Amino acid sequence: MTSSLAKAAGRTAAKRRSGSWEPFTVVSVIGVALFMLVCLIPFWVIVSGSFTDEQTLAGKGYSLIPQPFSTAAYKLIFTGPTLVSAYVASIVITVAGTVLALSITSGLSWVIARRLPYVSRPLAIFAYIPMLFSGGLVPLYLLVTQYLKLQNSYFAVILPLLVAPFLVFIQVSAFRQLPEEILDSARVDGAGELQIFFRIGLPLSKPILAVVGLFYAVHYWNEWFTALLFMSDIHKYPLPLLLQNLISNVSFSQMLPTAAAQSTPVYQLRLALTVVTIGPILLAYPFAQRYFVKGITLGATKG
Amino acid sequence: MPATSPAGLSRRGFLAAGGGLSLAAMLGLSGCGDSSSPSSGKAADTLALLLPGDTPTGWDAILAKVNEKLKKDLGFTIAPQFVAWSNYQQQSLLKFTAGENFDTALQARWLNMIQLVASKSLVPVDGLISKYPNLSKTLDPQLLEQNKWSGKLYGIPQVNSAARFHHFTVRQDLADKLGVGEISTFDQLEKFWYDVKQKEKLTPIGISSNMPKLLAAFAPVGWLNQHDWENPHVSVQFFSGGSLPFYLAQDGKSTGSAKPIPFWEVPGVVDALRKIRKYYLDGIINKDALNVDSSTIKSQFESGRIATRWAMTDGLSSQSLTPLRKAVPTAQIANVVPLRGGKDAKPNQTFQADNFVVLNVKGRSNERAMQLEDWVSIKENHDLLSYGVEGTDWKPVGADKFQQLSQYSFPGFALCWRQKLELKIKDITPTEEAWFDWAQKYDNFTLDPYASFVPDVTPVKRQDSQVNAAMTQYGNPLWIGAVDVDKGLDNLKKAVDKAGLSELQAEMEKQANAYLKGQ
Amino acid sequence: MSTRTSVRSSLWLGLLAVPAVAFFLVFSYAPMAGLVVAFKEFDISKGLFGSPWNGLDNFRYFFASGDAQRILVNTIVLNVLFLAATLAAGVTLAIMLNELRGRFFKRAAQSTIFFPYFVSPVVVAIMLQVLLSGPAGDGGVVNDALAGFGLPTVSWYTEPGPWPWILTFVKIWQLGGYMSVIFLAAITSIPEDVYEAGQIDGASRAQMALRITLPLLKPTAAVLLVLGVGRIFYGDFGTIYAIVGDNGTLFPTTDVIDTYVFRSLRQIGDFGTTAAIGLFQSVVGFVLVSTAVLIQRRYSKETSLL
Repeated sequence: MTSSLAKAAGRTAAKRRSGSWEPFTVVSVIGVALFMLVCLIPFWVIVSGSFTDEQTLAGKGYSLIPQPFSTAAYKLIFTGPTLVSAYVASIVITVAGTVLALSITSGLSWVIARRLPYVSRPLAIFAYIPMLFSGGLVPLYLLVTQYLKLQNSYFAVILPLLVAPFLVFIQVSAFRQLPEEILDSARVDGAGELQIFFRIGLPLSKPILAVVGLFYAVHYWNEWFTALLFMSDIHKYPLPLLLQNLISNVSFSQMLPTAAAQSTPVYQLRLALTVVTIGPILLAYPFAQRYFVKGITLGATKG
Repeated sequence: MPATSPAGLSRRGFLAAGGGLSLAAMLGLSGCGDSSSPSSGKAADTLALLLPGDTPTGWDAILAKVNEKLKKDLGFTIAPQFVAWSNYQQQSLLKFTAGENFDTALQARWLNMIQLVASKSLVPVDGLISKYPNLSKTLDPQLLEQNKWSGKLYGIPQVNSAARFHHFTVRQDLADKLGVGEISTFDQLEKFWYDVKQKEKLTPIGISSNMPKLLAAFAPVGWLNQHDWENPHVSVQFFSGGSLPFYLAQDGKSTGSAKPIPFWEVPGVVDALRKIRKYYLDGIINKDALNVDSSTIKSQFESGRIATRWAMTDGLSSQSLTPLRKAVPTAQIANVVPLRGGKDAKPNQTFQADNFVVLNVKGRSNERAMQLEDWVSIKENHDLLSYGVEGTDWKPVGADKFQQLSQYSFPGFALCWRQKLELKIKDITPTEEAWFDWAQKYDNFTLDPYASFVPDVTPVKRQDSQVNAAMTQYGNPLWIGAVDVDKGLDNLKKAVDKAGLSELQAEMEKQANAYLKGQ
Repeated sequence: MSTRTSVRSSLWLGLLAVPAVAFFLVFSYAPMAGLVVAFKEFDISKGLFGSPWNGLDNFRYFFASGDAQRILVNTIVLNVLFLAATLAAGVTLAIMLNELRGRFFKRAAQSTIFFPYFVSPVVVAIMLQVLLSGPAGDGGVVNDALAGFGLPTVSWYTEPGPWPWILTFVKIWQLGGYMSVIFLAAITSIPEDVYEAGQIDGASRAQMALRITLPLLKPTAAVLLVLGVGRIFYGDFGTIYAIVGDNGTLFPTTDVIDTYVFRSLRQIGDFGTTAAIGLFQSVVGFVLVSTAVLIQRRYSKETSLL
């Protein structure tokens, strides 16, 4: 299988699509369109609801047209003094976290994927065990706050989530599909193992790097729990934590006074918060996606 | 939070799975954060406070003013950390468990206060309060006395009234329109609900998912328990929040025997359950009661979709009037306490505070924490923290009310609620004000025979946890009338019997009798 | 395959794994010492080593409770449903997406179906309420539709029966797009000439999808399956708890280990039992994965995970 892959390299996927409209294609288009609809309608309902007046939302439920139109929830979100710093924190955490995580994960995955005797398999098991066994919250908390002293540092959010075993395995299985011949020919040319990794392995694996990178980015973008644990300075709260606080700022228990004096548009707020959090991801997604469409060994064996 | 995390990264997010202080010992270092927590004798320049909820709007400006004045008056500042409600319980427990050196926190029986008292994590304050004149001036001696657990006070009770008595907020405009008029009895209330259902097409009562256990078997009265409203003399005790309610004998003081019985043996409770079942079937209460949160119900009430809502004698339910009027311009609301005998009913009351400010044993300076509590008991400081800057955030209305001018709102009950200093909101309705005033006087109530009895769950922890699970599964549907009463009760009885009801009952009896003996 | 690599170059190669190994040692393995609390009667004031040992009491306690069996069954049934449904949905969507022509539509489709992954469980729960019960607990979109067709309406939130299917539907909605991205990445790596051969044989696109694409997705599916099997004892806490909450009427079909643990922890703060259940989940997961890996290796050595 791997050898045929090498031969195929350089041909674009577009070729596959030169056929006529077969029934299966039509079925696919309809199938995807239906699923898109199932995903789009709630999305639209969320966006539309976030602009609908709270009274109407609570009274009639959600509608497809924001009527009467209201921006109360967005005003509430955007007048918060810390929103800008929250976006900054989230961007820093996401960018730094993704770059670090992707580098480290790639290194580990490459070593596992090379099937080195006495190294790869133990490493794979070593990486897999943390997916199942966890020491729990308290030791992690002590580790970060008392030994690493990372309170109020962005690294407190980045480091504990640095390598996700799940993504290691995704990447390993992708690395293993790289044509061995290309690597061998490089060895014949006298390239060292590290050179092969950096000059051939990584460039050939752009699509999987994009996929894994995207998953890391989403993780970091959405992460609020580690931030909750280790950040006490509100000016360093990442966006999801800030929003999480807003969303749960409700009269928590019957024992409590009816909380804040101002009436918050709860329905509207929840929807607006969803829009604010996922908006940037949806905007960034097409850029990462560019790589998915490209062939995996594109450009490796040109000429 | 992402919908799912493939690698289970956020799984840690909810399982505060135990781990203890292993790492400390493993690395050969002293555990419990000894290295980083100076003794309480040494002064700390900044006190760390744990507060619940979201950071108030305009917080930075107020905090700067507070700190400036604090620095001048007492020589230190405060650095509060706000933890959202949904995370507060877990976070505060974690911080105590990890031996962090924050100074004060909000704690309560419905949080983890009993556990923290048992583990000696809290500083007893009964001996300290008298040293701080401003603080002791604002705390009623009776309040302090009633909130002692086994003779010790483990936190500063935060209350804005003497008694807490849950009741109803109703749409008075609808009652007037339907010819029900002013409501003062449970029968009138019921008629109002059925009329609303038939003629107004609204949901008569809105119930949220944290309310089921309050409806039939609860003290001082079950919310929808007519028998209780007409005979408000019951003592109900639980080993833990969601556990099985036991009723204790009212004549315990004279007989020396508490005779706890499970709720279904008490006159009125099963009747109330049958009635609630009828309400459920007739559409008087919302059918999704177990799945909607309180803020949703609040929002629905404020949009005019619900005619009756839960209220507490905290003087705050009238806040809903302004948003409600936006949806229904002619809306009126009234607070209804359908006690037989009205304000002269003298119902039972434990006077237990719902919230306490507790001092962390490992705090940087317990002394300064007390100084802070004293400082916020001075009206000027109290008002600054509670309501913000006068003229900008609020203005006084009359002698005892205030009008809010900005969005600033502070969780005063987690730091500085003092019954004598709290101002009423400007919009308070006459009925709410009347009942709020009623709740200010200790003499309007009968002291519950088990007022400061706090059952200790430790000896029956296991059984209690299983009874809790059974109550969630079989009790909750029963409380809101979602199942047939006989069948539901039968299932519940079987489940709690298996879970260890008899052990709980015996332990409750033992502890309650010991309490009576000590009185 | 590449056993030709010399020992020296292996050493160089090993350097690449050092940061990750360090990460796992510090952030995953060191805190695992905390697992001993599963065998202890945990007491905050005494800390971990001061707390008294209580042997297997914490485990015994969980299994003695009448709930253990129901919860275990629910956990496995729901997770098998979720795993099978999301994998099937992911493969189907990926194959269909691959058929799409037109760059713009394809991209738009991918972005759209990926979207539900980002919607928080709280919002999912609210949307479900609108569908199933409507504001204030009456009607709901689904019941309105049922009534429209003259069918009897259902009081969804007090009927445990349909819930495994409702939750499965939610999972497909949430994760179908996510899974399809992984599978689509695998499809794009399938060499072109495989299809060319198919075309020459006169295979239709449907036949090629079925006979060529599908079998070639096996390795990816196998990896996801094996990883999924390892987590079969973990419920999907976030979603299930947000939707079901403390609604006891639905527990017979929806209560899973994680929601059960969460409730008992919240109510009595029992760290010991929680840790015991966590350890039990881990050990069973480990056994399951090892078995899955062994079985998988027997059938296809080529795609073996470990």
